[in-house]
Amino acid sequence: MERKSILSLIIIIMFLALLAGLFGLDILQGEKFRKQSDSNCIRLISQLGSRGNILDRNGEIIVDNKLSYDVMILPQDLERIDFVLGKLNRILGSEVKELKAVFKKNFISKSVPVIVATNIELKKAILLEEYKAEEPSIVITPRPLRHYPYGALACHVIGYVNEIDRWRLTKLEDYGYKTKDIVGFGGIEEKYDYYLRQEEGGLSVEVNHRGKFMRVLGFQAPQNGKDVQLTLDLNIQKIAEEAISGRKGSVILMNPENGEILALANYPNFNPAVFVDQRSTLISSLFNNPDSPLVNRAIASSYPPASIFKIVDSAAALELKKINLSTTFICRGSTMVGSRKYSCWDTHGEEDIFAAIAHSCDIFFYKTGLLLGAQNIHDYALKLGLGRNIGFELPYETSGFIPSPLWRKINKFQSWFDGDTANLSIGQGDCLVTPLQAAGLITPFANGGYLVSPYILKAVGGLDLSAKKKKLTAVNFKKSNIGAISKGLRRVVTDSNGTGNALAVLPVAVAGKTGTAEVFRGSTHAWFVGFFPFDKPKFVICVFLENGGPGHAAAVIAKRIIEAMNTQGLI
Amino acid sequence: MKIKILILALIICILGVLSIYSSTYQKEGVWQDIYMRQVLWMGIGLFCFFIVSRFNYRKLWDANYFIYALALFFLLLVFILGIVRLGAQRWLRFAWFNFQPSEFAKLAIIIFLARYFSRKSVNDTSLLSGKFGIFQGLILPFVFVAIPMFLIIEQPDLGSGLILLLVFICLLYLTHVRLKYIFTLLALLILPVPFFWHFLRDYQKQRLLVFLNPNIDPLGAGYTIIQSRIAIGSGGFFGRGWLSGSQSQLYFLPESHTDFIFATFSEQWGFLGGCLLILIYYLIIREGFAIAQRTQDTFGKLLAYGISLLLAIQVFINIAMNMGLAPVVGLPLPLMSYGGSSVLVTFVALGILVNIDRTRNVF
Repeated sequence: MERKSILSLIIIIMFLALLAGLFGLDILQGEKFRKQSDSNCIRLISQLGSRGNILDRNGEIIVDNKLSYDVMILPQDLERIDFVLGKLNRILGSEVKELKAVFKKNFISKSVPVIVATNIELKKAILLEEYKAEEPSIVITPRPLRHYPYGALACHVIGYVNEIDRWRLTKLEDYGYKTKDIVGFGGIEEKYDYYLRQEEGGLSVEVNHRGKFMRVLGFQAPQNGKDVQLTLDLNIQKIAEEAISGRKGSVILMNPENGEILALANYPNFNPAVFVDQRSTLISSLFNNPDSPLVNRAIASSYPPASIFKIVDSAAALELKKINLSTTFICRGSTMVGSRKYSCWDTHGEEDIFAAIAHSCDIFFYKTGLLLGAQNIHDYALKLGLGRNIGFELPYETSGFIPSPLWRKINKFQSWFDGDTANLSIGQGDCLVTPLQAAGLITPFANGGYLVSPYILKAVGGLDLSAKKKKLTAVNFKKSNIGAISKGLRRVVTDSNGTGNALAVLPVAVAGKTGTAEVFRGSTHAWFVGFFPFDKPKFVICVFLENGGPGHAAAVIAKRIIEAMNTQGLI
Repeated sequence: MKIKILILALIICILGVLSIYSSTYQKEGVWQDIYMRQVLWMGIGLFCFFIVSRFNYRKLWDANYFIYALALFFLLLVFILGIVRLGAQRWLRFAWFNFQPSEFAKLAIIIFLARYFSRKSVNDTSLLSGKFGIFQGLILPFVFVAIPMFLIIEQPDLGSGLILLLVFICLLYLTHVRLKYIFTLLALLILPVPFFWHFLRDYQKQRLLVFLNPNIDPLGAGYTIIQSRIAIGSGGFFGRGWLSGSQSQLYFLPESHTDFIFATFSEQWGFLGGCLLILIYYLIIREGFAIAQRTQDTFGKLLAYGISLLLAIQVFINIAMNMGLAPVVGLPLPLMSYGGSSVLVTFVALGILVNIDRTRNVF
């Protein structure tokens, strides 16, 4: 071939190569490059909706949101950043160095706006918004933040919000949760995060090679989370919080007819706002506090029930006909069980079941317990909702524990002795219940024989769920037995020697039972469970004081609460 | 024939002006009327095209030493008076425009080489080039090419320098110089490449490394290639339409109206437009080759080949570089890129081409 033909052939091949290259870029890889081109110039500026509010049963706001303002920078042109930060510093009044450090920390990539300052004042936000005309790479976005108008009120019911942790993220990733999302921790915030959660919306804007804003391409309005209405009554909750304040323990008020929790207060408590403001020293002091203020004692801790367990003994003994209403035992201050001496806290003389409940006579119940046997006591305890999870809505519920001879044999390789039965019948030993279980224990005697499932969620987004939540389980006790025990519980208050006599002065007729739990270390735990008004009970109350002294102390707290409720006309 | 080349060239010019307009109309100040300057240069180029196409190219035979000397003079002048822009000293300032002598030097060297290899024996009018030994056939012409080439590479403008070398090798191949010599030259040029590496400027080294892998420095040297590929690729089949296309419109693509105008064009007109443009370029070059083949006069033949090759190589390297298939060298796309010197010289070269075809019949 001639040299010129070879050369023309080479030229043809060269141009075909160009066509092939063009084909490769445009047709084969066109999709990919189109995406890259878009990511070059399209920025998404997210706008958060606000998290759903948490309301009380009357629609009063317990937790809502307030607007705060964040400053973001579109970081396309990195050389200009210093200049922009310098300008920001003049308006915000914070150090350039700090701003730079924050910028560096939050920088993800050139295509993602970087947050340089959060929660700035409205005045500064307006100033910056005006300055935006000059420097369009600055973006001010409103961010709704959790706002707690009542501070620590009902904090254990509500929980708090914080940045999602790794553990939750791995579980929730598939449901659309992302890193740095704000999610609920503990309480309603965690349990119903799915409802409360807002949907992110935002602007998609076009920028040029310097990150300069060119035009808005689209806007998707953020969706607010759904409001969650609780069964709590803000006024009762306030009274309960006030009453327990300063004493370690918890207070629960419940409607015996349906299981609605009207108040649930624990102390020590915390202010969820510290997590919003990210005050790290306060947060770490919450976690390190030996009194564990973050723990919802009402459901997440269990304690020996002590004398309030005598309600179980009474119910079991009457139901199984081990005793009848005229059975009496004589209390001489102590009795022998096997070779050991078991003593009562006082000397009561001859007591029938009403007097025994009223005076909380240990001897009576040792003897009743021994007549019943441990297994029967255990079975009736479970019937009354002890020793198992009641399926309450708030997270971290514990089941408590009721021992039985079989359990002892299997797990401890030990035999069960009559002494253990005696201990169990006065609610000591290995026996543990949560304050909420204690409240549940007494409800069948308030509502005529039904065990309730306590619940706290009344409505979501305006849709009332209480009909679905209400669940009554008949305990199938004889009406006469229930009436007898109720009568005994009433005598706790009315009897001049009754352990709950402190409540007798109230204009409201209260029935209940106190308890004083022996503990290994420190002062005794104090219990009071009761219901009122006696004739037509509308409230079940449980007051528990951790290391709070004798049961009388809890009864005094209950008295204060009922008194306040009465004066405020809430009964 | 004259009309065909002219029409093809004008189509390219108009597409070029459209692309220049689209990539600059949003910028402020002088940028906005930059396309008008290009139209003006187009007019001047067209005028020169008509003058040159009526001007017997044989006169270039006589003037070739003068032209060569003039090119050298301008290149030297660049070193003394040249304007530094984009880190290179490539331009001479005239009254209201900047002139790029390297563009002129490309044409001058082609004329010189055509003349050199078409000298005939006084005795039997046979071509001397067939009898050239290694000195006359290789070393002497190489020295003549090497001097302006060196001056251009020192500007620094590696792209234009390499173009000269490639055109030289192609012309050598087309004359009757023995293949042996050509391969010797190639060997001599390629073997010391690792050695020359040390003489390259930092930015040139970087560009070569980046060509091998643009992602080693995506925000620096590799940025242009990546953005250019994105621009071309995002055009898809039909393109994003004139005055749209975010890469060029939002200035992600640097040099979008000069060296990377193909990417600008391609983003807006897509695969279809790109193919059409490449096809038009090919048609012009094929026309040049056809003229060369029809011409009996050896000088005219070599000149036509040289001009077509210059065009072909520039188009190929520029488009390949836009696609990331060749390293980034500062090289305009003839007739399309913004730049008066390039447009003018290309029109003059096309004028010569047309004139060769016209004068052919005289002999």
